[in-house]
Amino acid sequence: MLDSSASAAAAVAIDAGELTLSNGLLALVRPALEMLEPGGMLAILSRSSAVREDLASWCRAERHEYAGREAIGEGTERHLIARGPFSVAAGEPEAGLAIAGRDGVPSSAAMLAAVPMPPRANTESGFAPRGARVEPGGPPYPFALIERDHVAPPEVGKLYEQGVAAQWDASRDIPWHTVKPLPAPLEHAVGQVMTFLAENELSALYVPSRFVSQIHPAYAEVALFLASQLADEARHIDVFLKRARAGGGGLGISSVTTSRSLLSLLETRDFTEATFLLSVLGEGTFLDLLTYIETWAPDEATAELTRRARTDEARHVHFGLSHVRWALAHDERLYARLEASVRRRAATLAGVGGVPAPLQDALTVLAAGGTEPRAIARGHEAFRELLATMHQNRLKRLEHAGFSAEQAEMLSNLHTPNFM
Amino acid sequence: MRNDDSILLGAVAYDAKVVPIWEGIRDYFVSERVPFDFALYSNYERQVEELLAGHIDIAWNTPLAHVRVRQRTGGTSLSLGMRDSDRDFHAKIVVRADASIGNVKDLEGKRLAVGSRDSTQARILPLHFLEEEGVDLDRVTLVPFDTDLGKHGDTGSSELDVLRALHEGAADAGAIGDLVWVTEQAAGRIDPSKVTVLYTTPGFDHCMFDALPTLPEKKRADFTRVLFAMKWEIPEHRRLLELEGLRAWMPPREEGYRSLEEAIAKGAR
Repeated sequence: MLDSSASAAAAVAIDAGELTLSNGLLALVRPALEMLEPGGMLAILSRSSAVREDLASWCRAERHEYAGREAIGEGTERHLIARGPFSVAAGEPEAGLAIAGRDGVPSSAAMLAAVPMPPRANTESGFAPRGARVEPGGPPYPFALIERDHVAPPEVGKLYEQGVAAQWDASRDIPWHTVKPLPAPLEHAVGQVMTFLAENELSALYVPSRFVSQIHPAYAEVALFLASQLADEARHIDVFLKRARAGGGGLGISSVTTSRSLLSLLETRDFTEATFLLSVLGEGTFLDLLTYIETWAPDEATAELTRRARTDEARHVHFGLSHVRWALAHDERLYARLEASVRRRAATLAGVGGVPAPLQDALTVLAAGGTEPRAIARGHEAFRELLATMHQNRLKRLEHAGFSAEQAEMLSNLHTPNFM
Repeated sequence: MRNDDSILLGAVAYDAKVVPIWEGIRDYFVSERVPFDFALYSNYERQVEELLAGHIDIAWNTPLAHVRVRQRTGGTSLSLGMRDSDRDFHAKIVVRADASIGNVKDLEGKRLAVGSRDSTQARILPLHFLEEEGVDLDRVTLVPFDTDLGKHGDTGSSELDVLRALHEGAADAGAIGDLVWVTEQAAGRIDPSKVTVLYTTPGFDHCMFDALPTLPEKKRADFTRVLFAMKWEIPEHRRLLELEGLRAWMPPREEGYRSLEEAIAKGAR
């Protein structure tokens, strides 16, 4: 298509043959003009008399300047168009971006990282993918999360890729045949634990989903990661409900303590505060809970599904820690805000007591493996150890996120007795 | 003359979109602290009379209405501005590919579809220019589409009627404005095996904001200052400019109406 010899005056030239405006000429003319800056000259070689009549009219309609024509022999004319000043898309055309991973296959993380995230996003670029050239003058979009440092930690692209690779199937990938009839109290305990897990995972599905639509598409990898997290939570809800019902025991009780705790999470309006409460403190604490359930699981299916869920949750915790650490490093006032949100949440739960009683009893029976009194005493001891382990690991995560030892101690002690 | 502070602009309600256009422009003027309101008329004849009677400050006029205001005021009326798209308008004579029409003289003995008798671009000026080219209009059978009289061709519906008649074989040739012609082609609504372009008229200008010479200087200055500050790159402005069919407001000029004045003087068909 390009022919630089057609005219010394034109930056771009096209041979349009006998094409007219009625049968496709514009499919050559418009992309060629798009390659030019305003004022840049396009030469069109044409053998059509209709083009002679209509090209100037089209230029008028599109505010390009028709700069005249000349015969160049054999019924062919050369028309010149200077690109007009309107609707010039910003930025340079993309070319030659490296998107291959280590194995040479296109990698999501490398593909996303090939165009750096802007420090602040333009709300008038709408849903344009990062890197697209955007025509100016588009309507403003109501995205609230438009600053990289409050949305997107550098490793989020890699976490998204890991999240996609780690998807599993709640039916096929669990050895359900290992679920055998258990003594009624133990099966009841399993059902209660699964009820609690499913209820909390429902909140972990709903809370991040509130923020996805607020994230500017310039930070699409955060929305993509959260989408993989939502798919994880959906699968967890599915697999926990399956386990509760697979052994014939069914679901247990939902406590007001849990309900209050999760409402205070759902009502958190700030993305970083919600991520801190849900992923760092809540899902972080759940890692220890899931380890406990896997350790005392009465069958291989229960052990496998809690192990798989924990692997997913560890990725969510990783994102939460990355996000909070990155945001803290760029906003000194954030420490005080996060502390205040933990205190506010603790105040709404004041006076509700400790761990929801049905859950505590079920965790005790689970670790005891039954209801024999000496076994129950051992189960109770295991539960006490779980609480201590949760506290110790919360301290580690808080310090990893950037809090001091004193701040970590205070925040961990204020954390909800509902674990999430 | 009206004696309140707000600029009262008249426009013709040729389409439902006229309401959001002028409500948007009114809100924009008010946001720029220039009191502004508009009145809608059903036809340009009444709007011209209302301007001449001093009931409105400014009329957004078609070329035909503009020329009438110029004539009725003895050339003393004020021209305030126009759209970029109003400059260098052309009309096209388009023909059926199977009609054996190779030049404008071949139109004699053929059926020529034309728009409303008050449409500058689809009737008055194409016929005027064909006559200038030596075509004997008495030997051309006009197929008129006199829709939306009083709207001066604003709706464009008679131009679309002309194109439909050509595609259906109800006429051998047709007269339309160049913007409709290139827009319909670009949108893929023209069958190139049936309809093609024959002739392009010389350029002429289209709509104009007209006012009486008694318009207070402050109103004139406020109107043009705020109007010309509208920018295609500003999303709220762009929406209004798109609806009104322009990308930039331009200063007025009179030479683009000479051909229409001549056509009217000799008695347009």
